Amino acid sequence: MNRLLELERPADGEAQLFRLSTFISFLLAAVLLGWLGIHVKWGFVSELNFLELWPYRVALLRGLMLTLMISVLAIVIGLVVGIILAILLQLQVRPIRWMVKTYVEIARSTPLIVLLFWVHYALPHLTGVETTALESGLIAIVFQASGYLADISRAGIQAVPLGQFEAAYALGLRARTKWLTVILPQALKVMIPPLANVSISFFKATSILSVITVGELMSMGLRVSETNFRPIETLTFCGFIYIALGILFSRGTQALERLTAERSRRVGG
Amino acid sequence: MEFDFQAIADSHQLVLSGLTWTLTMVFGSLALGVPIGLAACFAKLMMRGPINWIAIGYIEFYRTIPEMVNIFWIYFCLPLIFDVRFSSVASGLLALSLFSGAFLAEIFRAGIQAVPAGQIEAAYANGMPRRWIWAAIILPQATKLMIPAFISFFTDLVKVSGLLSAIGVGELIYQATVISNQTWKHFEMFTLVGVIYIAIITPLSLAAQHLEARYARNR
Repeated sequence: MNRLLELERPADGEAQLFRLSTFISFLLAAVLLGWLGIHVKWGFVSELNFLELWPYRVALLRGLMLTLMISVLAIVIGLVVGIILAILLQLQVRPIRWMVKTYVEIARSTPLIVLLFWVHYALPHLTGVETTALESGLIAIVFQASGYLADISRAGIQAVPLGQFEAAYALGLRARTKWLTVILPQALKVMIPPLANVSISFFKATSILSVITVGELMSMGLRVSETNFRPIETLTFCGFIYIALGILFSRGTQALERLTAERSRRVGG
Repeated sequence: MEFDFQAIADSHQLVLSGLTWTLTMVFGSLALGVPIGLAACFAKLMMRGPINWIAIGYIEFYRTIPEMVNIFWIYFCLPLIFDVRFSSVASGLLALSLFSGAFLAEIFRAGIQAVPAGQIEAAYANGMPRRWIWAAIILPQATKLMIPAFISFFTDLVKVSGLLSAIGVGELIYQATVISNQTWKHFEMFTLVGVIYIAIITPLSLAAQHLEARYARNR
């Protein structure tokens, strides 16, 4: 497919055209990089000093730990709530279905930053209980995660063959046994790839919590750059950590997917 | 506590200006992001050599970096590197455009590659000229196939535009923060903002789901 789309004809005059398109490619890249090279004030490079971050290592590490903790909590609690919501959807009771659907739609459609401000500033007016920035951040991100994960769980449960439900019914399994030992293990296997995607996007989304200074990596990075006046080093370092961990995690889950696919092939389904 | 509608009525002008700014940022960054995305998609699919590597690197980089880091980095670091002063609107627009360029490039690519290879092979076999293949075979089908992904990206962009309040762009959330800090009507303001976002995003995301389900059935 990619061969068909490429600029030069697949078969005739291959060698000559290849050179022409490579030449154009080099030319465009040179123009692009040259434009950047002219406009960048290179003086900043000589002042770069990443060692300036060393005194703040504890703060940054603590921020990273909090980021990881928030992501894990968002996914784990969100998954539990999401699965419960997805099971409620299977009950076929109209009012419950509507309520669950509204919940999921609100959780998915509201931007995280709005949820965050709402929980942090508006909710105390309603309940009279002040929450700390961390608590507000956790509530908001868990709420949004539960919406996304309810949708994924619903799709996962629907992917389990109907015969499995019928078999569980025919065996007279109790609801708890049916869900915990028959349906959910099979559903979870289908859910691994979308689950991995959502985990990564919520790991990235934790940086949004910095707007109410929760104290995770991004807020720590902003605070450090305000004290050491070195935004380039600090923010680049934070970005690098997010990218490195994101790539690491996506590689890890790809390996996990291959492993489960292989195992289910060996077992035969 | 009771819901104070008067507070909303009093501040409707600021809320409207916030909504206008949100839409300006969204459509402005789409206007810049679509050409960037088309160029990156073209370079990724059909070029070889350095420009292809640059396009792939750009797309991958912007798809892995958190939106917040992107926004803050462009706001705080870019002025130091280029030694110019950007307004918060300009840096916000740049951040959102680069973000949408990378995601749109992938959406375009997925749409083009979702056109069945048999269609293109058939066109070749019939001796159709290359531009005709693009104009008559690939692009019409690819455009149709990328509509659902495009709509759901649009909803993402609306959500991400809210993050610009952190660097002081006067969009919806920023205005709501300002108003509620003055009037102490946090509950009313942020509920209103949430309702506005849901009113924009929910119909679009339902439409995208509907289209996607229809395409999946017809395949």
